[in-house]
Amino acid sequence: MLRHTLQRLLLVLPVLIGVLLIGFLLMQVVPTDPAQVRAGPTATQDIVQAIRQELGLDQPLWKQFLIYIGRLLQGDLGVSIINNVSVVQELGNTIGPTLELMFASLIWAIPLGMFLGTIGAYFRGSLLDRAIMAFSVAGVSLPVFFLGLGLIWLFGFKYPILPFTGRVGPLWTWEGLQGIILPALTLGGVFVGPVARMTRTSVLDELGNDHVRTARAKGLGEGVVVLRHTLRNALVPVVTLIGLQIGFLLGGAVVTETVFSWPGIGRLAVGAILSSDLPMAQGTIIVLSLGFILINLAVDVLYAVLDPRVRAT
Amino acid sequence: MSIVTDQIEKASGAADVAAVVAASAPRRKSALRMLLSDVGACIALALVLVAIFGAVFAPWLAPTDPYGNDLANTLKPPGEGAFLGTDGQGRDMITRLLFGLRTTLMMGFASVTFGCVIGGIIGFAAAYYPRLSGILMRCMDVLLSFPAILFGLAIAAIFGPGLTAVIIALSIATVPLMARVVRGSALVVLQQGYIEAARSLGLSDLRIILRYVLPNCLSAMFVFVTLRFGQVILLGAALSFLGLGAQPPTAELGAMAADGRNFLFFAPHVSVLPSLVIFAVVLAFNVLGDALRDALDPKLRR
Repeated sequence: MLRHTLQRLLLVLPVLIGVLLIGFLLMQVVPTDPAQVRAGPTATQDIVQAIRQELGLDQPLWKQFLIYIGRLLQGDLGVSIINNVSVVQELGNTIGPTLELMFASLIWAIPLGMFLGTIGAYFRGSLLDRAIMAFSVAGVSLPVFFLGLGLIWLFGFKYPILPFTGRVGPLWTWEGLQGIILPALTLGGVFVGPVARMTRTSVLDELGNDHVRTARAKGLGEGVVVLRHTLRNALVPVVTLIGLQIGFLLGGAVVTETVFSWPGIGRLAVGAILSSDLPMAQGTIIVLSLGFILINLAVDVLYAVLDPRVRAT
Repeated sequence: MSIVTDQIEKASGAADVAAVVAASAPRRKSALRMLLSDVGACIALALVLVAIFGAVFAPWLAPTDPYGNDLANTLKPPGEGAFLGTDGQGRDMITRLLFGLRTTLMMGFASVTFGCVIGGIIGFAAAYYPRLSGILMRCMDVLLSFPAILFGLAIAAIFGPGLTAVIIALSIATVPLMARVVRGSALVVLQQGYIEAARSLGLSDLRIILRYVLPNCLSAMFVFVTLRFGQVILLGAALSFLGLGAQPPTAELGAMAADGRNFLFFAPHVSVLPSLVIFAVVLAFNVLGDALRDALDPKLRR
């Protein structure tokens, strides 16, 4: 257990350094001289040189990298070159809405996907199973923005019953709750298919096992067999696979936020890149990567907790 | 990314690959027959061929100039004048869709080709030289730990938004997946007796890999490439939709869908048609890939 976790942590280290290096290099490609910008257009060469020394820009690259890491550790990601807002502050404002959106999407998509997958596996080969699998493949192939635009057209225009213009208020208000419905339907919608497919495979594996036959042989009801003896065991791989789909979820979230003008970190990242706001772009990419690494790590460790066989190795 | 990837990784597990490898040579004909007996797979195959045909011959098939504006006839609904209507600049939608498909498929083709060639070389090297395996596959693990969208964002930030950035990002995201698939199937092939025979004949490593290992890994690689193509198109279109890929006025399906957002309520066809084309093409590749895997895996045969 401990060894497994340590091994995972060891693997994270090079990834972490890679992320920071990319973030650092991102700042190196800026065509303008930051010292010159800070000094202003009328400054003499001496002043620019002094500022360069002050910022550590005259140091060799590796030393600059260390300085940069030091600043990161202090939570200093610089300021936006567009509106001078602190990057950390802006990240703090946008991370909440993104998590909100992901949560609201998963809370309905995972149960529905698992339900469909279990049904499909139980009635394997039936018309229902085929319909569910077809639906699942279609879901995997559906562009997120298509679903989003379709929902906007349907529930925002044709039958204007739901808002689609971003986060109208906090979640605990009626307006805020209404505002998250369409984005959550969009992001969750593309997640149902994969979850259904994973659950189906996993449940199918379990249904073929001896203990399921035993459970049936001793006369247990089908409901108990499926729920207690099958789904429960099938849950372990499903949970981890869902964890590993976080990257897929992240990609969907970036698009969903853009479609619905949801004030999340994905939209912030895209906006920053499109407006060449490098400090902001760098900050969002670093934070998204770190978040992703952390979740992966958590899933890996969770896997070991849930499945004793992994622990043993 | 997604489930399809997991399926591939599953398929690349040693046992499955052994089955695929065993099936590939003598039973290729029956695999093809099985594929063609699947109605869904046939439709998917036809769709893929039509899409490729349309993309390749777009300049000859398109009725008008994809970049010629006609501001007197903007946002015409389908049927009025142009068969599928016109977009915000009065450009014929059929023309734009054909050229958009051309750009999108080209982007997918380039990314899959670069990613699979590099990933394939790494995979074969890791399988053939056990000493290299550790370091190479750890590097692949590092790459695998990032979702494609993050590569897209980072590369677009470094090089600036554009098709090149998307192709680089999607190629990088494909490399570790391909390396895993190839290594998995190559390891199985390397256990076969004829490899030992080839070695004892004193053939060079390169010759053994190219003549004996590669041909026996082809079916697993083929399944992967088909499924990956669909995913890459979906990702590339999403990045273009975000404005990080193809830049206007370039016709690209994702960018066209984004362009149509402004007219969603009074001219939905501008957004819907390119989205539908993406959906159809990706679905076709996914169905075809699934069917190919089933056909090449004798364990699933009834």
